Amino acid sequence: MANERTRPSTPDGTTAGYRSQATAPDPGRLRQLAAFAAGAPFAALVAAVEVALVTAALGVPRSTAPVAVGLVAFAVYAADHVADAEADAGSTPSRARVALRYGDQLMTVAAVCYGLAVALAVGAGPAALALVLVPGAVWIGYATDWLPTAGDLVAPLGGASVPRLKDVFLLNSAAVALAWAVAVVAAPLAFAGVPVGAVGTPTVGLLFGYVALRSFVDVEVPNVRDVAADAARGVTTLPVAYGTAGTRRVLLGVDAVAAGLLGAAAATGAVSGAPLVALAVGLAVSVAVTALVDRLGNAALGVAPDCSYLVAAAALLALGW
Amino acid sequence: MAALSPLSVALLVAVTVGLSGAILAWRERPEPGATWLAVLLAGQVWWATFLVFELEATTLPAKALWYDVQWVGVVAIPIGWLFFALAYTGYDRYVTPFSVALVSLLPAATVAVAAAGDPGNLLAVDRVVRETAVGTFLDVVPGPLYYVIAGYTYLLGVAGSVPLVQLIRDDAQPFRGQSAALLVGTAAPWAGNLAYLSGALPIPGLDPTPLVFVVSGVAYLLALSRFRLLTLAPAPRRRARQLVFEQLHDPVFVVGTEGLLVDLNESAAETFGTDRHAAIGRSAAAVVPRYDAVSDLDADGEKPRAIPIVGRDGQRPYEATVRDVVDDHDRTTARVISFHDVGAYLGQQQRLNVLNRVFRHDVRTETNLIQGYAEQLRSDPTDERALSVIEKSADRMLELSERTRTAGELFDPTEEPESAPLPRVVDEAVADARSIDSDARFDIGEIPCVSVPIVLRVVLENLCSNAVRHNDADAPWVRIDAAVEGDWVEVTVADDGPGIDPAEYDVLNRGSETPLRHGSGIGLWIVKWGVDHLGGRISFAEREPRGTVVTVSVPVDRSRPSDPGAEDDAPDSPVDESASVDESASVDESASGDETGPSDAAPGAGR
Repeated sequence: MANERTRPSTPDGTTAGYRSQATAPDPGRLRQLAAFAAGAPFAALVAAVEVALVTAALGVPRSTAPVAVGLVAFAVYAADHVADAEADAGSTPSRARVALRYGDQLMTVAAVCYGLAVALAVGAGPAALALVLVPGAVWIGYATDWLPTAGDLVAPLGGASVPRLKDVFLLNSAAVALAWAVAVVAAPLAFAGVPVGAVGTPTVGLLFGYVALRSFVDVEVPNVRDVAADAARGVTTLPVAYGTAGTRRVLLGVDAVAAGLLGAAAATGAVSGAPLVALAVGLAVSVAVTALVDRLGNAALGVAPDCSYLVAAAALLALGW
Repeated sequence: MAALSPLSVALLVAVTVGLSGAILAWRERPEPGATWLAVLLAGQVWWATFLVFELEATTLPAKALWYDVQWVGVVAIPIGWLFFALAYTGYDRYVTPFSVALVSLLPAATVAVAAAGDPGNLLAVDRVVRETAVGTFLDVVPGPLYYVIAGYTYLLGVAGSVPLVQLIRDDAQPFRGQSAALLVGTAAPWAGNLAYLSGALPIPGLDPTPLVFVVSGVAYLLALSRFRLLTLAPAPRRRARQLVFEQLHDPVFVVGTEGLLVDLNESAAETFGTDRHAAIGRSAAAVVPRYDAVSDLDADGEKPRAIPIVGRDGQRPYEATVRDVVDDHDRTTARVISFHDVGAYLGQQQRLNVLNRVFRHDVRTETNLIQGYAEQLRSDPTDERALSVIEKSADRMLELSERTRTAGELFDPTEEPESAPLPRVVDEAVADARSIDSDARFDIGEIPCVSVPIVLRVVLENLCSNAVRHNDADAPWVRIDAAVEGDWVEVTVADDGPGIDPAEYDVLNRGSETPLRHGSGIGLWIVKWGVDHLGGRISFAEREPRGTVVTVSVPVDRSRPSDPGAEDDAPDSPVDESASVDESASVDESASGDETGPSDAAPGAGR
């Protein structure tokens, strides 16, 4: 901070002094930085790691897929945080403040990131381009009013109006989970130019199911934190509909199905070795987080499910992959 | 996957920059031009994207397929550019579904031809794969439709650039920056395409237009972020300026150099009862009130003076201001004449001036009188004369105080304007005056039953009470008559008193008092302020063989049902009876002899 001129210190005004003010670290700014990092950048890191894990599990050559998907994740989450900043003020106040204050800058960065991701996909070919456009298209349907508008165009004279996808119970989380599963599983194939047949349809199918189920859990766990805000907005989520205990039971069931898919992959040899162990470790962390869903703080609930992928990636690296 | 060619890498940069700009532009909807800028940038991204696919394809059919797909982006760019420029610069009335469809006809036909496999080789006469150091692309020999769509693209590009070029000369620096960035962003691809068409490039067959989209994208991003392209668009300015002109409270006329009326705002039409559509094109002298006096004003800033003009609200003093409209070559193309109603301002000035005199002179004089005779009473408590003088002086001060309060209440802005039938108003005024002197005789002529503002009662009360109070006859005589002429009612109050001192008229004429030249009370001022407040006029005349005739003309309140012939028209406007307006003048202007105000009655009133 610049020096600030003080008032004259004597009544006759003869002393016009200057006071030097030392700039101390602003704890609020640090908190904002941490809140920002825990938002879109963290989501981007997790998405990139997720794609890298699936790349290893599929056994396809390394490509720019993790980078592209990470960039898309950053763009989508940053844009979403900016769009919903006011609504998120209750559940994630620090992140909402950042989004409100730096909305334009965040959107510029998000736009450049998405543009870069699309450019990487264009370089990888038409299939990769189509894949990278999927999350963006889903996000448009998820967060904007296009769907209701389209519904009104189809049935303008009334009847059941088409709600915003973000507001439809279960479908909202399922749509996000499926979109990410498509991007995460198909991106390594598309960016590497490897057809599904070369890897094996069972392998791709089992991994797709695993990622979709895990993504569903990852989306619903933070909803425990957002239950009050979602209820106030009229958005039905698992915690809103069934409470925390009911949500835990449902999500543990979903994790159990994911474990079954992983077991099937191990049994059939679709996935093996270090990647299989890493995915199992990630699943174990996810189960632990789901079991502790009512004991974790708000901040932890926001990042804990996604941390399972980081743990899985650490396990993969530890196993020498 | 094989490594990308240098051309493809450059195009990916264009994709990144262009898509970023498109997303940011799309986000700014519904700002003027946002959607069309997004369309323009999306077209660039589309073209560059599928050119990469063409470059990276390994077979001629694959390259030809991606080449044909590029046409969607190619034709979208000029459409987006044209409608963006129109919407962004405020010409949004040209951006309609019909105009968009019309402009899109040829581009849509081009895409259809490409989608149909280019029957008849309309787009490309020949296609061969050319391998170069920078990439392997399709070298196309253009067909006739290619040149048609290219020319059409250039046509739309020029059309869109015209309004933007105008902005470069704008005073506002942000708009200059915006338009410069936009023109650079558009000119760069044109330059690339011209180089291709003219064969000036070292690599024959390579159309560098999509490559130059990098420059375009950076320019557009700069305009969006640095110059706040869409959040600070000039589009509202055109409508805002028009809105200010239309909604301005002051009447405004625009007169061309040939003296013909070019335009007038809503207030001008409303205030002076003019039909806008009929007035435009007519001689300004026939439409603009007091045009002869106004047109002589110096457009370079001569101090405006108040001109009395009769309008919908009666006669009001207006300050006319004349400003020249000058084009870019310093040529005067028209004059803007605006009228500002200064009645309230002048009234306040006068009241302040008069009340200052009342306190500074009248109250002080009476107080000195009371003090002097009080001293006398102290020395001789039996001095009845001193006591009488003190009582009379106190009475005068009380009366002065009452009239001052009346003057204040007369102009209370919180009071709703009220109306009453004229006979009732006259009766109340006479009753008030009769209470002053029970011997006074009042003759009341035929009073038409029209509705008049209640303020007229204060005016008539003061006239009648003055006629009685200042009459030296044993039995003062006062006669009141009234007549309706058109939209005006004329009330005359005649008396047989000694007449009004010309000095009293003089201060009313001048509108202000000085320490040496001032009136003797505030009764006549209340009359004048009341008449001015009603948009009316007043005149004084000597009566033969003795006395004074005061004539007050005010607009009839046509909104009240008491007038059986009520119409919703305003008082006759100067447009229709400009002659009578020109000849008329308020009490402020006329100072001839003992008559203050015009010798003519209000327009349409006659005498």
